[in-house]
Amino acid sequence: MKDMKQVLSMATAFTKRYFRDKVALFFTFLFPLIFLLIFGTIFSGGDGPNFDVALINNSQSEFSSNFVENLGGSDVFTIDEDAADRESAEEKLGRGELDAILVMPESFGEVSEAGTPSGELEVFYDQGDEQLSATLQAVLDSVFSSINSELVGQQPEPFTVNAQPIQTSDLSRLDYTVSGLIGFSILSLGIFSMSEGFTGDKKAGALRRMRVSPIKTWQLIVATGINRVFVGIIAVALQIAVALLFFDFTIRGDIISLSLFTILSTTCLFGFGMAIAGWARDANQAAPLSNLVSFPMMFLSGVFFPVFLMPEWLQAITRFIPLTPVVDGLRFIMAEGQTIFDLGPQLAVIGAWTVIIYFIAFKVFRWE
Amino acid sequence: MSKVAITVEGLTKKYGKTTVVKGVDFTVERGEVFGILGPNGAGKTTTLEMIEALRPIDGGEVVLEGINVAKHPNKVKEIIGVQLQSSGFYDNLTLRELLIMFAGLYNQSAHPDELLAEVNLEEKAKAQVKELSGGQKQRFSVASALVNKPKVLFLDEPTTGLDPQARRNLWELVQSIKKKGITVVMTTHYMEEAELLCDRIAIMDEGEIIALDTPDKLIKNLLKKGFKKTKEVKQADLEDVFIDLTGKDLRE
Repeated sequence: MKDMKQVLSMATAFTKRYFRDKVALFFTFLFPLIFLLIFGTIFSGGDGPNFDVALINNSQSEFSSNFVENLGGSDVFTIDEDAADRESAEEKLGRGELDAILVMPESFGEVSEAGTPSGELEVFYDQGDEQLSATLQAVLDSVFSSINSELVGQQPEPFTVNAQPIQTSDLSRLDYTVSGLIGFSILSLGIFSMSEGFTGDKKAGALRRMRVSPIKTWQLIVATGINRVFVGIIAVALQIAVALLFFDFTIRGDIISLSLFTILSTTCLFGFGMAIAGWARDANQAAPLSNLVSFPMMFLSGVFFPVFLMPEWLQAITRFIPLTPVVDGLRFIMAEGQTIFDLGPQLAVIGAWTVIIYFIAFKVFRWE
Repeated sequence: MSKVAITVEGLTKKYGKTTVVKGVDFTVERGEVFGILGPNGAGKTTTLEMIEALRPIDGGEVVLEGINVAKHPNKVKEIIGVQLQSSGFYDNLTLRELLIMFAGLYNQSAHPDELLAEVNLEEKAKAQVKELSGGQKQRFSVASALVNKPKVLFLDEPTTGLDPQARRNLWELVQSIKKKGITVVMTTHYMEEAELLCDRIAIMDEGEIIALDTPDKLIKNLLKKGFKKTKEVKQADLEDVFIDLTGKDLRE
């Protein structure tokens, strides 16, 4: 109790001075928001897929002109008006400016003897882009099957497929981006704010002065940690608020799980910053070590590159890097609506790292 | 209760193969101002820091107000105040906020304004340490060392780098602290300061105490040996001229 009162008086003072430190404020609050606004704008193209296509209409039928109008009006397709002929469209496809070329042959939409229009749409896409073509084909299939069922609407269809979406894991790129950026901001708060700020206090002799008083090493570590976790919650809340306000972003999980998970994540990652800055005599020692620890984390944990693009052996390692469960957990809560109780594997990795890193931080701590 | 505040016996500090403090013995009485003098590198600061529980004791024993320093470092820290030679304060906090935090470290209620008044800094309560002059900084440092109402106050070269006015001002502060019954242990390079403030003086050289007595006795012992100043003693020196011309008022 007495020990915690000492910790609190430090944590209060540390937090006061944190909010007066303009450089720290910029990097903790403003910098992640700038990041979020830039990447959010790039990646918020609506939730569903979007295709840039050239539409070449060689048919004169009424159906085909209707079809062109409807396709252009949908969110899914963006029709490139400039690529009106086959040649220029193929050139654009080659440059990657188009996803596909849709060609309606002359006979497209001609009314058959049965009284209904019919036809075959030709789709050209880049050979290397198989994933895209599969999605495109699926989308077009569903477009035509709805047209078909409307045309033959009166009669009951002999066979139908009743497709129902199960637990949509339709994670948009924005979901990936937001959870990744929040994870990144927690990392930089935990590690970089320490390698600058804490070693600066050492250099100024402020820690020497603190050591004169009857406080123990763990109390200083905990007080600094409380300060950073408090700041971290505010920083994360601010980023989520901006994502909600400016982008088509929704949180499916509950706020309590999110807050708890943020606290645990910040506590864990702060341990790395504390170990480095606690050991280092000055910023010259702390800065390179901070980079050495945080850069692999940034690139291997799926903040900037999706983990599934990595080779399998690397993916196996990636799971045990402390930032990975942080980013995954944030995404599972925000995008998939999971609760903190569903995040056993993530919490296990975070918990293990927390124990290890605080043990190291305590062992290597130097007051001067 | 005895009138001894600190007992130091055989105090030793080694760095590798070199012994920087070589089995030092002395006692500090309650309520006195005890000075440790000596050239740079004599081991003064190391000796102080071992007594203050800031540095491990390699040999010997220190008992402060009945508490063994090596065994109960934190209990000792509770009842001492320390002004370090090379320490600083957190930036972005006002003097008042710093004192409140320091009081919290001792689980004591804070009286920042009283403390600041004691060292003539009440007007600077909302200022930060970086806005203070050298003398003000030292006075604040003393104020922060008094936050836990210590029984023993340690001052390591408190007047180094201060102008004559600020130095005199700090002397008055030390005398007022002594009047409250607080034991003071200090180091200094200024002999007139030691002569004026200290009840007893230990002179250290190369890790050993080579003389320990009151300033008067130390001077008498020297004169007994037939010492004579090479220069005629003047009735005033240049510092007296300086103070006469510029006054005792603080410039800050």
